[in-house]
Amino acid sequence: MTPLVSPLALFFASIFTSNILLANFLGMCSFISISRDFNSSRGLGLAVTVVLSVTSIVNWFVLKYILIPFDLLYLRFIVFIIVIAAVVQILEMIIERISQNLYMTLGIFLPLITVNCAILGVVLFIDIRNYSLVQTFFYGVGSGLGWWLAIVLLAAIREKVDKAPVPAGLKGIGITLITIGFMAMAFVGFSGMINVQ
Amino acid sequence: MISYLTAPVIVASLSGILAALITVIDRIVNNYGEVQININSGKRIIPVKGGNNLLLSLSENKIYLPSACGGRGSCGACKAKVVSDAGPLLPTEMPYLSRQEIDGRIRLSCQVKVKSDIDIEVPEELFNIKRFSGVVERITDLTHDIKEVFIKFDDDTIDFSAGQYAQLEVPPYAKIKESTQRAYSISSNPSLKNGIEFIIRLVPAGIVTTYVHNFLKIGEKVKAVGPFGDFEIRQTEATMVWVAGGSGMAPFKSMIYDLKEKNATGRPIWYFFGARSLKDLFYLEEMKNIEKEFPDFHFIPALSEPLPEDNWKGETGLITDVLRKYMKNEIGNAKEREGYLCGSPGMIDACVNVMTSEGIAQDKIYYDKFA
Amino acid sequence: MKMTPDYIEAHNKMQPGVITSEGFLGNDTRKLVEIIAADESEMIRLGITFEEVYEKLLYLQTEGEKALGEPSTVDGKWIVQAGDVRGKLPSPFGDGIFHKNSVVVQNVVTKKALIYSRLSLHLLEKYHFLQGKGSPFRLDPVDMKEILEL
Repeated sequence: MTPLVSPLALFFASIFTSNILLANFLGMCSFISISRDFNSSRGLGLAVTVVLSVTSIVNWFVLKYILIPFDLLYLRFIVFIIVIAAVVQILEMIIERISQNLYMTLGIFLPLITVNCAILGVVLFIDIRNYSLVQTFFYGVGSGLGWWLAIVLLAAIREKVDKAPVPAGLKGIGITLITIGFMAMAFVGFSGMINVQ
Repeated sequence: MISYLTAPVIVASLSGILAALITVIDRIVNNYGEVQININSGKRIIPVKGGNNLLLSLSENKIYLPSACGGRGSCGACKAKVVSDAGPLLPTEMPYLSRQEIDGRIRLSCQVKVKSDIDIEVPEELFNIKRFSGVVERITDLTHDIKEVFIKFDDDTIDFSAGQYAQLEVPPYAKIKESTQRAYSISSNPSLKNGIEFIIRLVPAGIVTTYVHNFLKIGEKVKAVGPFGDFEIRQTEATMVWVAGGSGMAPFKSMIYDLKEKNATGRPIWYFFGARSLKDLFYLEEMKNIEKEFPDFHFIPALSEPLPEDNWKGETGLITDVLRKYMKNEIGNAKEREGYLCGSPGMIDACVNVMTSEGIAQDKIYYDKFA
Repeated sequence: MKMTPDYIEAHNKMQPGVITSEGFLGNDTRKLVEIIAADESEMIRLGITFEEVYEKLLYLQTEGEKALGEPSTVDGKWIVQAGDVRGKLPSPFGDGIFHKNSVVVQNVVTKKALIYSRLSLHLLEKYHFLQGKGSPFRLDPVDMKEILEL
């Protein structure tokens, strides 16, 4: 049963109230490591958004027209990952062609998008919540933008934190995790404004 | 339909479709088609297949930039000026380029991908550079750690001027997994075009010199690339002061035989050669013979630590001290003088100091630094 | 022992064919930190310090370089040949680029010799890294004590 939520509401909800990173805590590894540098964060955010938008649509078709009709839902993890891997591969080739600079900055993290749990997570939510194609599109793009927003925010905060007198024991990952905690609390403040689940 | 086959067939065909898609997109995206490399604003335009690095694209068209590491970005030798936009400077190039070079659009050609038409500037002499294959015809022991090696080319000829160098390539051996190139001055006479001679001194733990000294056999096939370098006799009337040590003999041997052959020995030449003891000296006879033929050629070997049994009657002391003594007492400054040096950076710096303090202008001192 | 990311990266760059064709580790299969730790305790056992070894090797290099590429006798105890070759080498730890050279120090009495370079001295001073067993540029503590007469 497709939920009765307007695609536009879903779009904003996935950015703010149920941000894939700060409400569901998916895609943390690259979130923490890449946010060290502002420009890379922007690049990776863009890459994740593009991959999410494309894979959620492709995987929706795979789900509706292959997995469900043939009763192969138990294979969805493998199949989704295969599709994501292929899309990332293609994206990597295109980025290398278009911007050597971005390609160098993203480095190893580009192929690692394949195993970014945010991307698989979004696809699985689409399956669980039984979204329609239009909802899927807005949810996918929204989640990507949400991830992008979160990593850019964190990168900006970390630039400030780097200059702050942080106690030695908390330097690096420690203070970053605390920062993420505060950010998550701030985003929780949005919850209740739009209710989707 | 056998139900248990459905899953494998579907997963397999899905993967197959995606793989095909990737291949097709790879063809489209990574196909740069044929692009042109425009060298020295139109002097030469070569069409190449896009997507390879500049060093490789050029060498496929028989234009060899100097490279000691073979395109791994670790020697910094393959510098070229890229006039058109060829993408941003990569972090791998940074350590090898100075501020001026970066401003002057110099790049490491092995790191620049040729994706579209590209304008580059390289020294004209590079067009003359060829890759030779030949066989080792002769290996002679000059001293306990210096060998003279002659390579005869299979069917090619070389055009070089005395003083230039070439790169010798040796195959993988022992623990060395890949073929290695190193540069050595050519010691043969430029008129001898069907082969080249090197004078190679054993460098402790050096890859190519160890091979040459311990493994290289007569009759073995080897490759060389060259000629490179701008170390050559300037066409003036000035008195020439040559200083060398060890394998630094090579370019001067080539020069003196070249002059002898061309009968162009009107200019006075003072050739200072430094070694530790008599067993490190070589070509003593050859140089004495040339001295007899040309009264204006003076060969002055100097030993820094002669052994008692050497019975050494010649000059002793550091080459710099001997050089200073002769410049003061024998050569004088009545006539214009030029300095020519070949050796290690330390030796060259020390000799340049002596020469400038004895009144030779810095821009009249030419050298081939092993650097 | 735990290798930090810096050391893992340095270890990878020390493999044959990355910076030099032969690499820095010879046929030593130990981890980089284990090589360093073993040499550090060996140095303590022999009663010599990295500082004095570094000073001595640097002194011999400087004295040897005065002979301008030819071998020379230093203090009547060592024959030193300091030679320069074309090219530069980056440090495997990514902290500098060193002109390629080699210094051979041979003890006049024992005839045993050490080979090192500017990069070796840097690795010795800053990281206490004396290279793996079987590397041509290995500075073994026992050999150093004997050859340098410390």
